[in-house]
Amino acid sequence: MRNRTFALTGALAAALAIAVATPARVTGQAKSSVPRTPDGHPDLSGMYDLAMLTPLERPAGLPAVLSDQEAAKLERDIAEQERKARGPIRGDREAPPKGGDGSTGPAGNVGGYNTFWLDRGTHYSTVDGQKRSSIVVDPPDGRVPPLTPDARQRALKKLGAAARPTSDAAESNDPGLEPPGSYDDPERRPLGERCLLGFSSTSGPPVLPNYFYNNLHQIVQTPDSVMILTEMVHDARIVRMNAQHLPTTIRKWLGDSVGHWEGDTLVVDTTNFTEETRYRGSTENLHVVERFTRVDGRSLKYRFTIEDPATWARPWTGEYSWPITDERMFEYACHEANYALGGILSGARLREAEAKD
Amino acid sequence: MRTRKRILNSKFSIRNFFTAAWIVASAVAPAAHHAFGGEFDSTRPVVLKGPITRVEWVNPHAWIHLEVTTADGKKEEWMVEGGSPNSLLRRGVTKEALAVGTMIVVDGYQARDHNLLRANGRNITYPDGRKLFLGSSGTGAPADGADPSDSPTPAGRGGR
Repeated sequence: MRNRTFALTGALAAALAIAVATPARVTGQAKSSVPRTPDGHPDLSGMYDLAMLTPLERPAGLPAVLSDQEAAKLERDIAEQERKARGPIRGDREAPPKGGDGSTGPAGNVGGYNTFWLDRGTHYSTVDGQKRSSIVVDPPDGRVPPLTPDARQRALKKLGAAARPTSDAAESNDPGLEPPGSYDDPERRPLGERCLLGFSSTSGPPVLPNYFYNNLHQIVQTPDSVMILTEMVHDARIVRMNAQHLPTTIRKWLGDSVGHWEGDTLVVDTTNFTEETRYRGSTENLHVVERFTRVDGRSLKYRFTIEDPATWARPWTGEYSWPITDERMFEYACHEANYALGGILSGARLREAEAKD
Repeated sequence: MRTRKRILNSKFSIRNFFTAAWIVASAVAPAAHHAFGGEFDSTRPVVLKGPITRVEWVNPHAWIHLEVTTADGKKEEWMVEGGSPNSLLRRGVTKEALAVGTMIVVDGYQARDHNLLRANGRNITYPDGRKLFLGSSGTGAPADGADPSDSPTPAGRGGR
């Protein structure tokens, strides 16, 4: 019995190891349909739309892989919600209630604007022919590992300082007001609000969808460098091919990315983040390894492993598909009319003046 | 019969399970917007009616200006914050689609700085309640699903 248990555990471990260690496997059939550059590498160039329903972390109770029927049902439900949200309301309506109507969603509560502005995705991501319920695939429960005690301590300190300028902070989600000092100066506003980086780690690394709008990404590839352009806040990350990392004294908002080919997979290694980037509360020593594999003429598989021992006790891995789109990307000139930031700061000054009276 | 009942029950529970799971997933979806509580005052709800005077088709948020006539006959120009115009452009909604003079109704909340005649566009509709750009005829707007002959796929998601 003991032997059988051992054998079973061993087999499971081996299967898991194969699953984790072979992210870049390409079937012979798909390989032939992969476009290539003159130097023989897969051509990753193209416009990709990352809008999708698969969340970063697996919702409690969902299996890792949805059956086609389950995914189709969830997708239909979302489409129906969207259809209803776009339906007419009363034209002779009165002003909404003070403090909001208590419902959730961008147009239901006090914040936001109605759904015609949004483009949140319509389908679950398909990876290796499977409809996935989360981007995170390791740990196997599909959840980001818990923060280390150190990281929790850091987060509490930052909270006290009323500053949250992380790369993935939502532009806001503050139905009321943030703690005192949060609106004191632009340096204390999230990077997305300040037009420095897209919110929800749209530019990454790791590159994630924001489940809102402007999820287009463009890859331009040359033998010496690969550029990944993110529509949200128009971030361009340049990956230097076959290069060494910059000295650790040089820090960049998007980190320093260097790349090389492992077979048909582009591997991008990123370090040298700034202290302000802080993806999910990580330190500037965040290390992200991304793997881009062109699966066929219409999509690539994006896989990333992220580690920062001061933040998570173990590395964690996510993957999802980047489907090619025929859509055009438009410039997101975030600074051209950022009335919002001015409004936030002037509102805070007025509240201070009122408090003195 | 007993078997059939069991199958029905199991289908029902799977359906409930996925509905519940989706609700959990939806609840954690980000609601991105420039700090609502910082920019707007949730205790100052407004409903604004009037013709469009100008549209600022800009990032990070589009702003629609309209002329509002107050109860005492005074004319005020209000400006209303919407989302990013990029997605609308992709759907084929251009700045020509929203002509100056178009009557609209907006509900939302005024800016924290009450000297500013600004509000968020929580709902922006035509006077008959139809959402702007959606289902409006003659503006080149995308299908909203109200017309059974329309494609069920929202416009602008080609290539997928």
